[in-house]
Amino acid sequence: MHLKNTIGKAVWACALVGAMAIPTLSPGLAKADSYPSERLNWTIAFGPGGGNDIMSRTIISILEKYKLYPGEIVAQNRPGGSGAVGWGFVHNQKGNPYHITSTSGSYITTPLKAKTPWSPTTFTPVALLAADDLVLLVNGKSKITSFDQFIKEAKAKPPAIGGMGAVNVDFIVPTLLAEKAGYKFEYVSFNKQGELTTALLSDALDAMVANPGEVAGLLESGDLRALAFSGKKAPESLKDIPTFGDKGYELGISMPRGVVLPPEAPKEAQEWWIATMKKVVEKPEWAAYVKKHELTETVLWGEDFRKFLAHSQEQFARVLKAKGAIK
Amino acid sequence: MEIFDQLLLGFSVAISPINIVYLMLGSLIGMVVGIIPGFGPAAGLSILLPLTFGMDPTGAIIMLAAIYYGAMYGGTITSILLNTPGESAVVASTFDGYPLAQQGRAGPALVMQAAASFVGGTVGVILISVLAAVFAQVTRGFGPPEFFMLVLMGIVTLIVLIGDNWRFGAISALIGFALGTVGVDLETGMQRFTFGSAELIGGIAFIPIAIGLFGLGELFYAFYQGLHRGGSGGIIQYQSEKHFWPSMRDWIESRMAFVRGSILGFCIGVVPGAGATVASLMSYSIEKSSSKTPEKFGKGAMPGLVAPECANNAASAGSMVPLLTLGIPGSASTAVLLAALLMWGLKPGPLLMEQNPEFAWALVASMYLGNMALLAINIFAIPLFVTLLKVPYRVLAPAVILVCTMGTFSVHGSIIEVWLMFAAGGVGFFMKLYGFSPAATVLALVLGPLAEETLRQTLIISRGSPMIFVERGMSLGILIFTIGVIAFGYFMNRSRRLAKG
Repeated sequence: MHLKNTIGKAVWACALVGAMAIPTLSPGLAKADSYPSERLNWTIAFGPGGGNDIMSRTIISILEKYKLYPGEIVAQNRPGGSGAVGWGFVHNQKGNPYHITSTSGSYITTPLKAKTPWSPTTFTPVALLAADDLVLLVNGKSKITSFDQFIKEAKAKPPAIGGMGAVNVDFIVPTLLAEKAGYKFEYVSFNKQGELTTALLSDALDAMVANPGEVAGLLESGDLRALAFSGKKAPESLKDIPTFGDKGYELGISMPRGVVLPPEAPKEAQEWWIATMKKVVEKPEWAAYVKKHELTETVLWGEDFRKFLAHSQEQFARVLKAKGAIK
Repeated sequence: MEIFDQLLLGFSVAISPINIVYLMLGSLIGMVVGIIPGFGPAAGLSILLPLTFGMDPTGAIIMLAAIYYGAMYGGTITSILLNTPGESAVVASTFDGYPLAQQGRAGPALVMQAAASFVGGTVGVILISVLAAVFAQVTRGFGPPEFFMLVLMGIVTLIVLIGDNWRFGAISALIGFALGTVGVDLETGMQRFTFGSAELIGGIAFIPIAIGLFGLGELFYAFYQGLHRGGSGGIIQYQSEKHFWPSMRDWIESRMAFVRGSILGFCIGVVPGAGATVASLMSYSIEKSSSKTPEKFGKGAMPGLVAPECANNAASAGSMVPLLTLGIPGSASTAVLLAALLMWGLKPGPLLMEQNPEFAWALVASMYLGNMALLAINIFAIPLFVTLLKVPYRVLAPAVILVCTMGTFSVHGSIIEVWLMFAAGGVGFFMKLYGFSPAATVLALVLGPLAEETLRQTLIISRGSPMIFVERGMSLGILIFTIGVIAFGYFMNRSRRLAKG
């Protein structure tokens, strides 16, 4: 009797689980007008506390606060291999509109470094929301006070410019700038922001590139001096300095902070998310986030985002191949 | 007396009941985070960071900082009792801490480590309060050439760690240097020995290797000796009644270790990128080389435990200097703290202490209180921890393996690091069996990549000229100091030999 009962329960349980599994297994079959009707899995490809984590959790809190997503949202950190683990996981959820992830700089560089089964353009793009752009800096006591002077000096004597990492936007940006402005320079790669900043403070380096948020305090105190900004529009704290574009050296690349769905996600899911993210970026919490982290608000939707990714990756690959960093 | 006014302001904020609660909470979490092998303060901080979103920044930073330096207290406990470092900065504490426990002196060793941590931490905070501005200048002068000189000094001290059997010692160090070459070549971006694995791009992490070489190596060695068949008793004989407090001789022997460890630790902590791990390993080597009885080191010498313990706590205080005075993170843990400051809307930088004096000084004041609280918690908790030694080895050993595995996995969520840990465990076992020096291996693993990076950065900056090392004042200073230490050590050694005949 006991045994029979247990078996009966087991059968029931299997049936229940099976019933629940059907929609998950065939998401494409779900009715178009009923999306979204399930729990959303938000994968964060980095550990807690990093830039990607903070952005993802900011968006999730906006979605929850304004009830923009009807179901439950589960955020999970899947760090490892500079994003390879987390984005690899989302890549495996092919066609499933209930998985979503956020991108950052490694989204372009990691597939160039390691053999990942995905590239930035294989995912279903939703939106590019902001960009991490770089500011070109010199020591506050340096005799170089303007961008034009920097270029002039650089042509006379190649400067040593520091940045974070070799396969990174920190290397690409000064390289493209030097190409366009026609000077040579030595790139010095660092592993940790602290060592990079003190190398410039100690006058070992001639200049460096950094995210404005990371050096805001040192800029304010005058220990560092900003010369130019690589993005389209400088954040408020840097509004007095020119952008590369103002000086005629438009680079057109930056670190994309955006949102993507797994590859081959249904069209209606992509459209639903584009419409929803348009609401998110209008909320005051989003504006506060962009301001606090000194990001450049750069918004591109859907396929335009895919084109941006393709262009950025092409530029990265070209420069890195020329240097021999990748094959 | 401006400093006292500011400190008083700090205490007035830090001593509010809610902040005391945060401080105690942080200290306790820090202890626990430190005790779990593999799971260090940086990982603990980043997991708890989202919880501080809605908190008052001052209370939050008091709590997070307490987690950071509390981990330095907790980490040593497993180093001493199980030869398993709780986190990377306490690896050096296993060298003499575990032999002390094996001699039945776990109680005195734990009391001494708590005292050393307290002294190191407190000396560190005093130096922050009084001389933060001066040390900020040191940080400012530290470019790649100076950093390389510092690392070179560390490599010189490596010779001391190698010990008597220099062939085996050199092989051990070379294994460490070789492991340090894995990962992306920093200057060119080329991958070295990664075999296409995304997990190895970042290089071989220190913690799995240290836990494997020391903790698991020791465990396998104990199995080899058949300790798990030893019935219901622990591996170490210990009577708490007789041997709890350190003897007078322990204090007298270690008095200089307290001073040297604290000051050296703080100075290294101030340098961004070096941090508590380098500080503790270097101070161990320096303590050994300046000791009158270096042969006792590694066999349970109290100064060999005190020096690195003072150093890692002083270094964790020291690394607050670049964070507070320049907004520059000096270590993985302070990088998380920096992220926290940004998240709360503060602007870390040279103006932080002027613009938010109550915040900065409350943090400094809380560090005085936190160190006192941690000393008390430690002393009271020691009898609890030593009961670990009474657990039969056949029960304890699997539990240790399980905790080490989970701790290592939790840091980066990487299964490859878990395999690395087990492989290092195998290597550690044979090292112990044949008398190699795992200490030299871990120090080489820390210093090798730093030396390579900073030397290459320096030479790119100087366009290949080594003259940059003597042209820059501070780098020349460190160079002269290093040569002085070597000369001193050489003559000491010679006169000792002469004295012995």
